[in-house]
Amino acid sequence: MTNGTPAFELLLPLLLSLAGGLAVGCVRWKSRRAMLGLTAAVLAADLLITVYICLSGAAMRLPLFTVTEGLEAVLRADTLGKIFALLFAFVWLMAGTAAFEYMEHERDNPRFFAFYLIVGGVLNAACWAGNFFTYYILFELMTLTSMPLVLHSLSHEAVMAALKYLFYSMGGAFLTLFGFFLFVSQGESMTFRPGGSLAAGALTGQQLTAVMLMIAGFSTKAGMFPMHGWLPTAHPVAPAPASAVLSGVITKAGVLGVLRTVYYVVGPDKLRGTWVQTVWICLALTTVFMGSMLAYREDVLKKRMAYSTVSQVSYVLFGLSLLHPTAFTGAILHVVFHSLVKDTLFLAAGAVIIRTGRTRVSELSGIGRGMPVTMWCFTLVSVTLIGIPPTSAFVSKWYLAVGSLATGIPVVSWLGPVILLISALLTAGYLLTISIKAFLPEKTAQPLAVEKCEPGWRMTVPMGIMTGLSVLLGVWPGPLLDAVGTLTGLLF
Amino acid sequence: MDISLALPRLCGMGLSFRVDGFRLLFACLTTYMWLMTSLFTPEYMAHARKKGRYWFFLLATYLATMGVFLSDDLYTTFVFFELMSLASYVCVIHDEKPATMRAGGVYLAVAVIGGLVTLMGIFLLYHLTGSLSFASLRASCADLLAGGGREELKWLYIAGLCVLFGFGAKAGMFPLHIWLPMAHPVAPAPASALLSGIITKSGIFGLLVLAADVFAGDGAWGLLIAGLGTATMLLGGVLAIFSVDIKRTLACSSMSQLGMIILGVGMQDLLGEHNALAVRGTILHMVNHANLKLVLFMAAGVIVMNLHKLDLNEIRGYGRKKPLLKAVFLTGALGIGGIPLFNGYVSKTLLHESIVEYVELLHQGAGSLPGFLTPHQAAALFQGIEWLFLLTGGMTVAYMTKLFVCVFVERNADPALQREYDRKGRYCSPLTGTVLCLAALVLPVLGCLPGLTLDRLADTAQTFLHGHSPAHPVHYFSLVNLKGGLISVAIGAAIYLLIVRRGLMARREDGARVYADRWPKKLDLLTLVYEPVLLRALPALCGGACRLLDLLSDGVITFVAGTVFPAVFGFFCRVLDFVTDGCVLLLRRTTHRQRRPAPVVPDGYRFSYYAGTCLNAAARLLDRTVRRGRPSGRDYVLLLAERQSLYKDTRRLIRASASFSLLMMGLGLAAVVLYLLVLQ
Repeated sequence: MTNGTPAFELLLPLLLSLAGGLAVGCVRWKSRRAMLGLTAAVLAADLLITVYICLSGAAMRLPLFTVTEGLEAVLRADTLGKIFALLFAFVWLMAGTAAFEYMEHERDNPRFFAFYLIVGGVLNAACWAGNFFTYYILFELMTLTSMPLVLHSLSHEAVMAALKYLFYSMGGAFLTLFGFFLFVSQGESMTFRPGGSLAAGALTGQQLTAVMLMIAGFSTKAGMFPMHGWLPTAHPVAPAPASAVLSGVITKAGVLGVLRTVYYVVGPDKLRGTWVQTVWICLALTTVFMGSMLAYREDVLKKRMAYSTVSQVSYVLFGLSLLHPTAFTGAILHVVFHSLVKDTLFLAAGAVIIRTGRTRVSELSGIGRGMPVTMWCFTLVSVTLIGIPPTSAFVSKWYLAVGSLATGIPVVSWLGPVILLISALLTAGYLLTISIKAFLPEKTAQPLAVEKCEPGWRMTVPMGIMTGLSVLLGVWPGPLLDAVGTLTGLLF
Repeated sequence: MDISLALPRLCGMGLSFRVDGFRLLFACLTTYMWLMTSLFTPEYMAHARKKGRYWFFLLATYLATMGVFLSDDLYTTFVFFELMSLASYVCVIHDEKPATMRAGGVYLAVAVIGGLVTLMGIFLLYHLTGSLSFASLRASCADLLAGGGREELKWLYIAGLCVLFGFGAKAGMFPLHIWLPMAHPVAPAPASALLSGIITKSGIFGLLVLAADVFAGDGAWGLLIAGLGTATMLLGGVLAIFSVDIKRTLACSSMSQLGMIILGVGMQDLLGEHNALAVRGTILHMVNHANLKLVLFMAAGVIVMNLHKLDLNEIRGYGRKKPLLKAVFLTGALGIGGIPLFNGYVSKTLLHESIVEYVELLHQGAGSLPGFLTPHQAAALFQGIEWLFLLTGGMTVAYMTKLFVCVFVERNADPALQREYDRKGRYCSPLTGTVLCLAALVLPVLGCLPGLTLDRLADTAQTFLHGHSPAHPVHYFSLVNLKGGLISVAIGAAIYLLIVRRGLMARREDGARVYADRWPKKLDLLTLVYEPVLLRALPALCGGACRLLDLLSDGVITFVAGTVFPAVFGFFCRVLDFVTDGCVLLLRRTTHRQRRPAPVVPDGYRFSYYAGTCLNAAARLLDRTVRRGRPSGRDYVLLLAERQSLYKDTRRLIRASASFSLLMMGLGLAAVVLYLLVLQ
């Protein structure tokens, strides 16, 4: 291993966030503005440092500590980490800004922002993890620190939901631990290396089982059937900005875990054609269909979004499970696009909740008149998520479907795109109907009591930026495609 | 003229455009249509709300439609096709009334579903051929059709059918036509004109690409398209005759005319090398129909903007004493009816001739046809289709006569209303009048001078469809060709007099004859099939299954982790916990039991000891059960030992006394013997 100068930049966001989080949480703030100012400064600094890391071409590496021979915690900047870290830091800043306004309607603000900052830092560090051990530590840390975001309101429901979240996440993490122990006991270093770091040769049955468990374990965070149960429970009770990042970012940490396991530890070639791939594809496709079907039949707005997340994140998992460069490209693109879209959707839902108190889809008739900016953002990202060209998710779905057909796996190669399209139809069914209801209310519907109920700029600007990006990245996906192109070049 | 523009990587796969004859023609036509309707719109929409929204989406639709017609690969076509669908939706639902919203919903649903199915087809095509540009599609699909394996051909047809689904839906093709008769009547008239005139043509554009580039010269595909086209034109014609709503009639008429165009598209593939007539007929009927529907819908729009009514019985007689409107509408009606000297006649003649030519080719043994038909059967089939084509032409004449007579000739059943209609002064602005006249003027010009106008358009446009110029110029006004038109007119007259005047009119209570809606309400694909299946059966079924999966997975995980896991493992651990203790206990009870020293049983008292112990045990048992509360309190061992010792003592005494007695008896006997022996 090369040992250059340790790059402390990699740890900086985490330390900064920890310090900021402690300050926000422990100091008795006289003025809310000062607290928010500090939070905003830390979020912005995190983003700037991340951008700096992404732009600097040098190979950054930072050994943290060594537990025992061959078991050390290392941070390292690579292409995949850069994509994820940049996305996470950006969305974190956007959702955080929106939270400044949203949280005015909730109590215990310092606690929320303290944990919000800390989770953000931990996530950032998780993107730089250089081996499985480091990633596992940070993954668990993220679960623990994000739980307070879910139980924020401290109602019985929220606490139970948070416990469920904790239970599912821990259960999933322990499944991955099984594989970790197995491989480490066989002398593997579990270092993240493009294309896999396991010893050459086919995997034994036991090792395959371990890989399946690792995939299933990380997929718990990504909401893959049958471990998706925590999402529809945790999302509706959490504050909207928390739901937004839970759905848009933290599920992606699960995706990152799967990615690192399959493409950086095990290696796609070792899994191609095994029963693990078959099972994984089946589970992912089931989730895609099930999630959107349930979203279509759900009336509570945030629960609908949660089921939508279940479905959409499994698009990503489906793309990864095909072990094909084109599908992989689609999956990475969908990670980015879905993050932007789902955050906007949740923030819009949050705006509706704080300004009108309405939580059900059936109550949203005519709301477009009261909050045009919010609902326009909502509509545009909906169109994006459905995959109507030329918006972004169309591009990612194109790559997913073309990749699926190119794999030539019997049945799945064509059934996959069919399910993706049926799911897209259902997405239209559960999102466009909201927009139509909002802008073109039936004449019989009760008019909205509040005429002008647009949220302030701190919510509309982040929504607008993310909406703009999610549309523009569809029209000009060039830079993103370049980045993913280097990645597929390394991995396949 | 041939300009192309490629924008690589835009929208992921890159967009490419080309301007050549066909595309230039349709780009100009699109612009012309938009220009004319836009000039008409301000007056039509004078009192409407949200004009800004309407104009914005109208322009967006324009851009998207241009994108479709200028695209040079299927990806670009699809991108703009989807944009066009969404943008035109907002134009359709402009007045936001419940009926409009329902029709708009159907339009949007068909567009979204059609778009997604088409997308699937495009995925498959891309997978099969590796490129979507029209030129390379043509080359690689020709290879596939010529030498592809069974499996590849199967997938090519599946891909074709998927692509056909979305474009066919937009082109109002049976059985996906449902949106067409619903959306046109509710949309603002300028939007209807565009929807019917040009947006449906973008669907035809997709069909043309399929026919000319993907399945070029393929008989099976040609037969399928021709069949669907025939069904569409017949159904459209029948629906139009039955309709009692002016804009609905025009919409159904669009469907019928589109059916003719689709039939022409099918004929291109069937005719193969000899497709000149079909290609030119298709292109010219697209152009003509766009112009005709522009005129007709704008004329209908003038009526609607004055009366806000669509029902034929209510607007009946409105057009009397309005010569300008009457002339414009009549021009449109004659044009679409295929009357010689008007433009519709030219293209219909070409389409008709192409069918005739195919039948002749079949008799000669040429022309491509699907494998499962003999040339003889095919000839008979297309003979039938030729007659159906003429019949549809007749139906066109009939329903246009119905509209014209109703609005411009007859008096309203309500005399007061008729007086009001006749009194009305200005019914449209000079600008609108000019636009109407200009649009209507085009029709006879095209129809009277086909050699100068339409033929030239066809010459420039046919290269896109790889059509060949006809061997000799078509004499539109020759006796043979006029015969077809005249047969249609005769059929139309018969239908009008026998069916419309007799069957479709009813006598009201006050004796006036009015138009009756005789079409059975139940007979509607939408409410009969699509809605029950797509909105109720499928969601209920799949939703139920998914809900079950969801509950099962969550329930099973929670149950297993919350109940089963603690119970099973708790029990197991309890067992483990008890194992050592249990073993010790077992040993203590069995092999390592603590034992008291055995009581010393004195010799000779064994029986009383054992029997007494047994009796003691029995007594204790009895004490615990039968004699509860009254314990005997005896020790049977002692009792028996006492008895035994008494018995022993007694026996010893008896034994001792018996032996003394015997001694004495012996002595006595001895004495007796002695006495006897001695003394005697």
